[in-house]
Amino acid sequence: MSDLLRSIGVRFLDFLSALGRASLLWYRAMAGLPRWGDVALVVKQIYNVGFMSLIIIVLSAFSIGAVLSLQFYTQLARFGAQDATGVGLALVLLRELGPVVTALLFAGRAGSALTAEIGLMKTTEQLSIMEMMGVDPLRRIIAPRIWAGLISLPLLTAIFSMVAVYGGVVVAVNWLGADPGGFWSGMQDGVELWEDLGKGMVKSLVFALLVTWVAVFQGYDAPPTAEGMSMATTQTVVISSVLVLATDFLLTLVFYGDF
Amino acid sequence: MDNLIEIKNLTFFRGERMIFDNMSLDVPRGKVTAIMGPSGTGKTTLLRIIGGQLKPDDGVVLVNGKDLCQMSHDELQAFRRNLGMLFQSSALFTDLSVFENVAFPMRVHTNLSEELIRDLVLMKLNAVGLRGARDLAPSELSGGMARRVALARAIALDPDLMMYDEPFTGQDPIAMGMLVDLIRQLNGALGITSLLVSHDIHETVSIADQIYIIAEGKVIGAGSPEELRAGSTPMVKQFMHGDRDGPVPFHYPADDLAFDLLGEG
Repeated sequence: MSDLLRSIGVRFLDFLSALGRASLLWYRAMAGLPRWGDVALVVKQIYNVGFMSLIIIVLSAFSIGAVLSLQFYTQLARFGAQDATGVGLALVLLRELGPVVTALLFAGRAGSALTAEIGLMKTTEQLSIMEMMGVDPLRRIIAPRIWAGLISLPLLTAIFSMVAVYGGVVVAVNWLGADPGGFWSGMQDGVELWEDLGKGMVKSLVFALLVTWVAVFQGYDAPPTAEGMSMATTQTVVISSVLVLATDFLLTLVFYGDF
Repeated sequence: MDNLIEIKNLTFFRGERMIFDNMSLDVPRGKVTAIMGPSGTGKTTLLRIIGGQLKPDDGVVLVNGKDLCQMSHDELQAFRRNLGMLFQSSALFTDLSVFENVAFPMRVHTNLSEELIRDLVLMKLNAVGLRGARDLAPSELSGGMARRVALARAIALDPDLMMYDEPFTGQDPIAMGMLVDLIRQLNGALGITSLLVSHDIHETVSIADQIYIIAEGKVIGAGSPEELRAGSTPMVKQFMHGDRDGPVPFHYPADDLAFDLLGEG
């Protein structure tokens, strides 16, 4: 029993100390305003983490939109409410699936890559030599990657939702023969700018912060061994996925909960 | 002031293990100072302490008479800008070409024009014999070549202090001779102060003005190569001649072999 308590205590302390180190990393990387010279570095990272994630985002979005639309249409048609397919699709995507699925895909595609890259840079002493040159690796390597994540994920989320709606249109309108007028006007009437699109984007921004933070911290904090690296990349995907799902529930509660 | 770096009563622990025990040494300005000693005596650690990456547990490191630990962030960065460091593992930036690796310090610390940077980089690369390798990626270089590119990068800004961590390890004889000449040249022509960590006795003796031998956290011998070769103490003599038997232990601290093999029961 005391062993169990002790191991819980040790784990809790480990967690606290990791949280402390992660906060310190964030503070030291992001304190102060970004300088003009950093823009090029951020753009390069947006290419790496954002643009390079486009293919998987677009493919997933299209198929998820198509499947959603198929389910909505067939179920709604039983009540003769197939015109609601458009609005149902849009709301589900903007409020929940867009931000969440994009964040999960982003964690798997870009987060793990960030972790591995930073971890290897540290292992091969690239960060250390940079520090010896009088260049702060946190500002030069970590900060541009965090900015790139914060900028890319909301954009990817927007692209995800658009492509998914298009996938839904292809299935519902072009294939199943729903009335395009009802589909689009239902969507237009039912979707509000802040309530649906805005809050979804806020979610996406929060997820971006969580995923990139976890990814760069795991890379920076990884033990310089093969096991350490493989552990860190796995941890990035696992921890950020769990965080995204848990935070999504909380945010949905705050945004749409009826208290 | 004739010492660029003065280390006074340095004590440093790595976990429970004491690496340096109240150790003092000086790095005179404009000279080549070598630090030698058996593997695992903390030679690399010493370079990292001087570079400000590790904080001593006790004692002071004076750079130009200023305590390294009391320096502000900006002062430390300014010191590091004048510091060239060659790591044992070249530590080239793998996402940049050879050319861009050498250009990196110039790009981040100066506002030189692109043409000037090009000329300077080619000159630095020429000095290490790798001007022709400028477009290669670090992954295409052999270990010895990578080290030479790292050296070109380290001298990119003509530092006041060069620190070399085992520069000769893994070099073929020709490159080795070139490196020895280069280190000597940098020191003579540009007046760079050099601090060299190595256990290649022959090469080190041939270029160093002053040698410190450290073992078990202490300086066990210091002086010019000639003085050390004369071999005052048994420890120094053993190290300079590479004898297996002597007061410097070859084994990592352990129990008696027979005791270990027979088991504790």
